[in-house]
Amino acid sequence: MLKHPLFPQVAVVERISRETADIKTFSVAALKGGVPFNFMPGQCAMLSVPAVGEALFSITSAPAQADFLEFSIKKTGAVTDCLHGIEEGCQIAIRGPYGNGFPVAQLKGRDLLFIGGGIGLAPLRSLINYCLVHRGDYGNIHIVYGARSAADLMQRKELYENWPASPATSVYLTVDTGQEGWDGHVGFVPQYVEELGFSPQNSIALTCGPPIMIKYVLAGLERLGFQPEQIHTTLEMRMKCGVGKCGRCNIGGKYVCRNGPVFNFAELKKLPAEY
Amino acid sequence: MQEIQKARLPQLWEYLAKKAPLYLPQQEDGVINFAPWQEGARVKLESLNTVLPPKSIVFPQWETYLHFTQKARELKLTPTKEPEGSYILFGVRPCDVAGITVLDRVFLQDPVDVFYESRRRCTIISLACNEPDISCFCSAFGLEPGFAPAADIMLWDGDKFLLWQSLTEKGETLTHSLTDLLEVPTPAETESVQCLRETAATVQEQKWGLDGVKERAKDMFNAPIWDSLYRRCLGCGICTYLCPTCHCFDIGDFSRGERGERFRCWDSCMYKDFTLMASGENPRPTQKERVRQRFMHKLSYFPAQHGLYGCVGCGRCVRKCPVNIDITQVIKEAGGSISCA
Amino acid sequence: MKEIMQKMRAEAARVLSSGEVDLVLGWEKGDLWWQSYPVFIENEKKAELLTWDLFCVPNLAKYLLEEIWHKKRVALFFKGCDALGFNQLMQDKRVDREKAFIFAVPCSGLVDPQKVERAGLHQGLLRVERLGDELTFVYKDREKKTAAPWFYYDKCLTCRYPNPVVFDFMLGEPVPVNPRERFTAVKELEGQNVDARFQYWQRQFSRCIRCFACRNVCPACSCRECIFDLTSPRWLGKATELSENQFYHITRAFHMAGRCVDCGECARVCPVQIPLTSLNRKLIKDIDELYGPYDAGVDPQKVPPLVTFNPGDPAAFLESKGV
Ligand code: SF4
Ligand code: SF4
Ligand code: SF4
Ligand code: SF4
Ligand code: FES
Repeated sequence: MLKHPLFPQVAVVERISRETADIKTFSVAALKGGVPFNFMPGQCAMLSVPAVGEALFSITSAPAQADFLEFSIKKTGAVTDCLHGIEEGCQIAIRGPYGNGFPVAQLKGRDLLFIGGGIGLAPLRSLINYCLVHRGDYGNIHIVYGARSAADLMQRKELYENWPASPATSVYLTVDTGQEGWDGHVGFVPQYVEELGFSPQNSIALTCGPPIMIKYVLAGLERLGFQPEQIHTTLEMRMKCGVGKCGRCNIGGKYVCRNGPVFNFAELKKLPAEY
Repeated sequence: MQEIQKARLPQLWEYLAKKAPLYLPQQEDGVINFAPWQEGARVKLESLNTVLPPKSIVFPQWETYLHFTQKARELKLTPTKEPEGSYILFGVRPCDVAGITVLDRVFLQDPVDVFYESRRRCTIISLACNEPDISCFCSAFGLEPGFAPAADIMLWDGDKFLLWQSLTEKGETLTHSLTDLLEVPTPAETESVQCLRETAATVQEQKWGLDGVKERAKDMFNAPIWDSLYRRCLGCGICTYLCPTCHCFDIGDFSRGERGERFRCWDSCMYKDFTLMASGENPRPTQKERVRQRFMHKLSYFPAQHGLYGCVGCGRCVRKCPVNIDITQVIKEAGGSISCA
Repeated sequence: MKEIMQKMRAEAARVLSSGEVDLVLGWEKGDLWWQSYPVFIENEKKAELLTWDLFCVPNLAKYLLEEIWHKKRVALFFKGCDALGFNQLMQDKRVDREKAFIFAVPCSGLVDPQKVERAGLHQGLLRVERLGDELTFVYKDREKKTAAPWFYYDKCLTCRYPNPVVFDFMLGEPVPVNPRERFTAVKELEGQNVDARFQYWQRQFSRCIRCFACRNVCPACSCRECIFDLTSPRWLGKATELSENQFYHITRAFHMAGRCVDCGECARVCPVQIPLTSLNRKLIKDIDELYGPYDAGVDPQKVPPLVTFNPGDPAAFLESKGV
């Protein structure tokens, strides 16, 4: 029997770990074990809880790193509410991978500047860990990450231990509002990036976070001398099919699910401002 | 070329319907739509466009594609059998045939929508328009009211008979099986086809020049027309549901207890929840952005992505929009020209 | 009609230039003969866009929801049916009488383009004019005259309030009121047995494509958040399954009970010609028979029968079940 292109496979949620008050990370494996499918950093998958619905999430684990896929999911609507309510061992449906992913070939030999805000670290993390596995292929790696408060920082073990311990890799953390017990930087991500003042020389910046943050980060990077082609970001649009057919994620001549979600700033400038 | 006497059409339909399900325009409660032929069917070939385009057959308003059972932690997914593809669409107008080829671009591109592909195995018998309506503007897109190149068989209305020409191998095979019903037309009748085609094209009084519309439409994002056009829009989506090329869909689940099914159904960019994200953000917050999206998608975005216009000029949206929002006004705004012949 | 059109333009220019209103809502003529659609005029110089012809059918009242939301004072034109819709919006506390300046346009009937098409008069038609009770269909090189009522919307033929019941300023003279019986179709259905009726409505509802045009155009459908749009919980699935279509129509009909002003807009906009008028009129007729005559939209001060309880109210629906 022919299967519909939207037909998912059954997968098992093997592990669920709490990141913050409203973010959990789910490890999802194929029914027979192993990853449900291969992918590249920046790609996404459609997860669904039957009877509730489907939603698209970026894969936060790195390729070939584990025998499951990881998704960091923030509670925001019907599907995510339901996912937050399930237990380890539950079966869900998954299909993918979707999207173009980050242009990993273009990144080789460059210094990389990762700029993330809140849940936006999820897609970046996949690429960060991918680059750290192939550490020799890349130059310096700088990671700037911020969240509303210290309690909203996700992937803390990697932020504080794994990443800083890697060669030529530095992590800069910031929170929107300071509070007791936080002795790090206080302030918004875009300003912090400008304060830190990275050099555009042989660099590529990759940013992901709330739309408003991206907007200011883009402006800030331009001021630091980054060319639009040197800045990559991921777009968020409502998606349904993931394969360029349902029309929902259409912006200008592009379908975010197919031609994105990763775009460089030069491409974004050509799109109508509808994201 | 062959021909069939109109008086023998019921015989033809009966014969065809025995071979495969036969869909043709039929009237029920005053509404003409494609429906499966049955004994006593009220076939309406002469009226131009059906209310719903034959899209509703190749890409039905909703269809289930998987069944699921969820027991405790366990989930079972069963694919739905793909739809039957060997049916005949009879009396499809040339614009609607072109509409199907637009849908092809979307559903047959990788990854192929196998359900659609299966339904596309149908045989399309197109009926040329002799006298296009005032709201028809297929010629604006380089289409011809008197000819549908993508059909399997082409028919022309010669008053007492239909002239019959197969255009594909599939059409040829079907034609061969109908030797008892088809006749050889006189040379004069054969020649009349050319005349019918030409008359139809000129009846489409308004002569369109679409040169550069695609390019100019691209720069129309901030055009003033959007500030006024949308205000009367009801956001009903009639224009999209009735459009032979609109293909946007949604995915939903039905469930009762442990069992359920997942379906795909038409959706419309004219609805406010179309782009509403779970976070509450909406990149197209008002009807203005939605109306703009529909027209820009047809005249600029779809051509950019697929190389052809997302409108075939069938005029359904022009006729059925409750507040007369008219795509031809947008085309004119984009630089398309009209001159009365 | 031309005379009224001239007055419309003059009045619109006047109220805009005097600053009495920020916006005038009227109708504008499109390129094709049947196109007369709502237009929003903010500048007196644009008053010339206004038209008044045989196709000015869309009700303008509902746009007030949007405009008042934007804190504007609006002048608008009402036919008889439009005024009823406005009163219903007032009764539902959705519009503010003070913010609307209403011009009444008595209406002796508008032309249904579908009837023109069915009569085969549409090919090459340029425009339709009316003189008294006679229509003239104007083509490039000929004209055709016929009796007007043949081509009027059904809703116009049965209209009991062609002269607006609410207005600030009347344009033209009141027209005679001469409605045909409006319950004919309902009575015909009532005469059939349950099975036949059920089949009839099944067939109608199965055609519904759930575009919601009927709801969106309806002056009695003004809920800010409609139950059919809610996603959590989702009451109405998006698949146009017959049972879901039935759920939609029956629920909406009940919500319209005692509130439907019988303006006929829902039936007009339905692309698949579902006879919504029969459905709504059945409820109107039942309410009239059970609780005494009541016409929604005529008097916004009058208490609607379904929002009051009277110990003497008939409860036949309980008795027949033997409760
Ligand atoms: S049919 Fe007309 S009113 Fe309805 S959504 Fe389309 S443009 Fe708007
Ligand atoms: S946009 Fe309108 S005219 Fe064009 S194909 Fe669609 S329904 Fe027909
Ligand atoms: S239900 Fe129909 S007839 Fe009644 S008020 Fe609404 S639109 Fe008018
Ligand atoms: S207007 Fe007609 S097709 Fe649309 S939802 Fe209403 S009844 Fe259904
Ligand atoms: S999600 Fe369907 S086209 Fe992109």
